[in-house]
Amino acid sequence: MNFTYIKLALIVSAVGFLASCNHNFDRIPVHQQPRVEFAPNMYHAESYEPVSVIDDSVNFPEGYNQMPGNEGFGNLKLPVANTIKRGSTPYHISKDSLEFAARTLQNPLVLNDQVLAEGEVLYTRFCAHCHGETGGGDGPVSEKLKGVANLSGGQLATVSEGHIFHVITRGKGRMLQHASQIDANDRWKIAHFVKEKIQKKQ
Amino acid sequence: MSKTSISNLASRLSLLIILSFFFTTVRAANAPDPALVSQGEVLFKENCKSCHAVHTQEVGPALKDVTKRRDVKWLSAWIRNSTAVIASGDKYANDIYNKFGKSPMTSFPSFKDEEIKAVLAYIDAEGEKGPEKVIVDGPPGGPSSPEPPKEDPTSTIILILVVVVLILVLTTLIVFLSVIKRFLKDKEATLTEADKELVNQKFDLVVVVKSKMFITIVSLLFVTIAVRACWLGALSIGVEQNYEPVQPIPFSHKQHAGDMKINCNYCHTGAYKSKQANIPSVNICMNCHTHVTEGSRFGKEAIAKVVKAYNDGAPIKWIRVHNLPDLAYFNHSQHTTVAGIECQKCHGPIEEMEIVRQHSPLTMGWCINCHRETAVNSKDNAYYDRLLKVHADSKKKGEMKAEDIGAIDCSKCHY
Repeated sequence: MNFTYIKLALIVSAVGFLASCNHNFDRIPVHQQPRVEFAPNMYHAESYEPVSVIDDSVNFPEGYNQMPGNEGFGNLKLPVANTIKRGSTPYHISKDSLEFAARTLQNPLVLNDQVLAEGEVLYTRFCAHCHGETGGGDGPVSEKLKGVANLSGGQLATVSEGHIFHVITRGKGRMLQHASQIDANDRWKIAHFVKEKIQKKQ
Repeated sequence: MSKTSISNLASRLSLLIILSFFFTTVRAANAPDPALVSQGEVLFKENCKSCHAVHTQEVGPALKDVTKRRDVKWLSAWIRNSTAVIASGDKYANDIYNKFGKSPMTSFPSFKDEEIKAVLAYIDAEGEKGPEKVIVDGPPGGPSSPEPPKEDPTSTIILILVVVVLILVLTTLIVFLSVIKRFLKDKEATLTEADKELVNQKFDLVVVVKSKMFITIVSLLFVTIAVRACWLGALSIGVEQNYEPVQPIPFSHKQHAGDMKINCNYCHTGAYKSKQANIPSVNICMNCHTHVTEGSRFGKEAIAKVVKAYNDGAPIKWIRVHNLPDLAYFNHSQHTTVAGIECQKCHGPIEEMEIVRQHSPLTMGWCINCHRETAVNSKDNAYYDRLLKVHADSKKKGEMKAEDIGAIDCSKCHY
């Protein structure tokens, strides 16, 4: 009796020892369908997640986390008309009033090293792929999308920061508005950076 | 001096003057002042290049032979204020304006006469040179096929060596065995019964298979493999590493983020300031694809889908790749802005992926491992000053890791 227990224990430990050889999870093959989920109702929120709509008719009823009355549009909704985003100021100057904006708008941010450093980061993230690291209008995208303005010299070297702000906000020529991507404050930081660093370099 | 000779001289002189004029003008047209051309080149690149090319039509018309089409006076007026020329009712100007979608050329009122001349000289010089040969294959690191990754040759060499040595040992042993057997057969008379059996034994597969030892080993191996498969299968439930769904539009991160060097943040607007990195709304695609309507791999077809979604106002149903369970909280801005972690640390070489693949396992062990190894980015962040002091006074040695300030507490992510 005792002997069998020892044998059993030996076998179990041998199996455990061999089975626990190192395993690398990188070996999970490339797959196009999602794999098994252990507890789907703990994984997927019932609340309206902005960028995910649960499309799993086996585990969840239709429209499980979908905003009602928003069929076909997932959980994204346009803001109610005439509402203002928190912390932002409405901008009423229209696209073709560039001259007015250039003449009247003043950069509300105090110019200092920190603002310039933040402006540089923002410029690299939002502008450099078209306008180039040094503003020469020679970013990698300008090969495909012609008509990228040269910021570092020529005609634009003398424009005001209000002009830069207005063009980022509303667009000009082939450039479309970038207000949806860059906050007003960040646009002013970029304006500072372009004026102080890119256009004063030479 | 007679009258004829004077008139003769005069005619000769005038001929000379005319000839010299002719030669100077020809010379000017053929080989313009290089200083003027280089000045023009600088001006052209600064002001005109973004919309015009000499040999090809870009945003504006191709400028080759522009001085033959229009005279310098007209061109100067046009460059300084094109809208005024159009307003004056000039037919040529209005035709151009209508041909190019009624978008007026930017005015350059500050251009001086010499500067306009220089630009025109540059355009003429370039126009005579002929178009540059364009390399169709694109620049290195462009969309051409990447080099296959080189494997480390040392491990292969070591493996081959080991196999060779083992085969050598095996053959030596077999030779050794047969030599001993032959040697013992000669002295068979002197051996005991047991030893005789050993020397003359025949290999019998059935006996081997039926032996207790063999059955035990085989069943042990079988059970081991089965247990191992179950164990690993159970461990990888919910692990979606290498998940690579087919998206409704074949968007290539390799082209956009890799070749075009568009920053992640340009499209994923929330990556640095929000919990979600965000899937870009279609208007961000349209920033470029209003004008770029033909792709390098799928032609117009794929981009047309984006434009259609934009015009219909319907969202594109991208398939979400990274699905962190709702039971765990994760915030992008905490990791990217505060900790200063690169996107690639978790998402892998996104800029090399044609189709996005989940690079990391996104398991709890993976999260915790990083929280144990990573030092807190406390540079220029006054929030951590007191924590750093407390950490320095504590028994713990080394840098302050994320785990030291509670980054592996359950309630940090699960609540």
